[in-house]
Amino acid sequence: MAPRWKWKGAEAKALAEPVSKTVSELQSSLAQIEVSGFLSSCNVLLSVEPEQAEVLDRCCFGRPVVSAEKDKRWIQLSFEEAFFLFYKLKCIKISLRGRSLENEVALWRSMRSFKTNFAISYKAYSHLRSKNWIVRSGLQYGVDFVVYRHHPSLVHSEYAVLVQFICGNDRLKVWSDIHCSVRLTGSVAKTLLVLYINGNVNTENMNLPLCLEDYTVEEQTIRRWSPELGREDETRT
Amino acid sequence: MEEKDWESSPLSEKEAVLLCYDDEEYQFGAPVPKLQFRVGSSKARWIAELGMAEVEVKRGKLWTTTGIIRTGKTFCFIEEAVYLSEIGELQLLGDEDDVVISLKDLYREIAEGKCGCCWENYEVYRYLKGLGYILGRHGVPWTTNDVVNTTPSDEDESLCAGEFSQDKDSITKLLSDMQICDARPVFDVYLPNSHFKKSSPGEPSFVACFSRDSPPSKEEIEVLQKRVASPLMFCHIVEGRASFFSFNSIDLLVLP
Repeated sequence: MAPRWKWKGAEAKALAEPVSKTVSELQSSLAQIEVSGFLSSCNVLLSVEPEQAEVLDRCCFGRPVVSAEKDKRWIQLSFEEAFFLFYKLKCIKISLRGRSLENEVALWRSMRSFKTNFAISYKAYSHLRSKNWIVRSGLQYGVDFVVYRHHPSLVHSEYAVLVQFICGNDRLKVWSDIHCSVRLTGSVAKTLLVLYINGNVNTENMNLPLCLEDYTVEEQTIRRWSPELGREDETRT
Repeated sequence: MEEKDWESSPLSEKEAVLLCYDDEEYQFGAPVPKLQFRVGSSKARWIAELGMAEVEVKRGKLWTTTGIIRTGKTFCFIEEAVYLSEIGELQLLGDEDDVVISLKDLYREIAEGKCGCCWENYEVYRYLKGLGYILGRHGVPWTTNDVVNTTPSDEDESLCAGEFSQDKDSITKLLSDMQICDARPVFDVYLPNSHFKKSSPGEPSFVACFSRDSPPSKEEIEVLQKRVASPLMFCHIVEGRASFFSFNSIDLLVLP
């Protein structure tokens, strides 16, 4: 499916401002001022200046928390977004129970304690982000993530992503799961993309974010074919 | 539609003509018309030990896209024979005599899955044929110089000549016949093509595969894709409704 740009000129704008460039800008902007957030049981809350809020929005990290405060903006980040900014881009600090975390291990373990599948979910998230796709929650489409090739104001998302740990068999187990996911994503003009995360299930290994380096990701699309539409030649035998 | 007992002797020419006009429900061009045998339909003889029919009388252009050719003769698989019988294009005659084999007996053969085609396979065959696609058994050449009961070299060969033991009453044998619908490639499917030639069919658009109760696993798909050059399409049939899914390994684009 070709990308569906939202307005005339959107594609040109996207070409002029590649996602990777905006993310680099974000990285330097946040690192300069030592942005800090704190961990809750389900997200990380970040307090930023309006200019930084704007860059975060351009790269689609987090959602604004509406408040009356004029000089500060509050942003809530998902665990995946927060860990990516902390561990990969190294541009934010996160505190836990009043103390700023020095290394990623404590943060990793805390996030894993709150969210069981965090390791796998984060691997998928960082895999997609490392290819410069914008990644957002896919909950409203019954999937884990939706990915955009640029900012959602410019283009519709193309893929609806389901994350499957290779040893687990909990998604798309039965035919009705396949029908459900494929038809739902098709009805919103997206292709279903399954990410298979291969790796060691050893719980000890998973206690360290280093385990991420042992995981590999395989991508598979699932499409439904319609025989009535598939024909090119109408001639019958 | 008048219920006619097809097990009786073949229709006289006059009866066949009358029945065509009697049936008010018959519509030209309907995918599976409620139709009686047309005057001058093709004839084939069922050969039990091969699980195939040898075509004796050919009528119409349909034979350019149906049946396999061996030593100058045309043979068709059970799904081809049943489909053509259903649409009134073929009279299938018994081994011993000229009694037309009833649709009931043909359906039973398919239900038992003995001739390399089970009911789900047949549903897909019938549906796609009705839409004009061209289907052949995967792994079976449309035409060769071999005789029809030669053991094929391809392990996916589904010709069932000589495969069956004498002990047809054993439950194990019964069940193993039923279990032919494992994750396997069954039909080569070509787009509708009025210039289709059995001597050079080209590569199929896809190979129709069937897996059992649950969707194919990633490993099963990988194994099949290694063996089959063409794209794979997995078929799922419920209550006569067929859906087709393709599972494709991709490498998501790295964006700028």
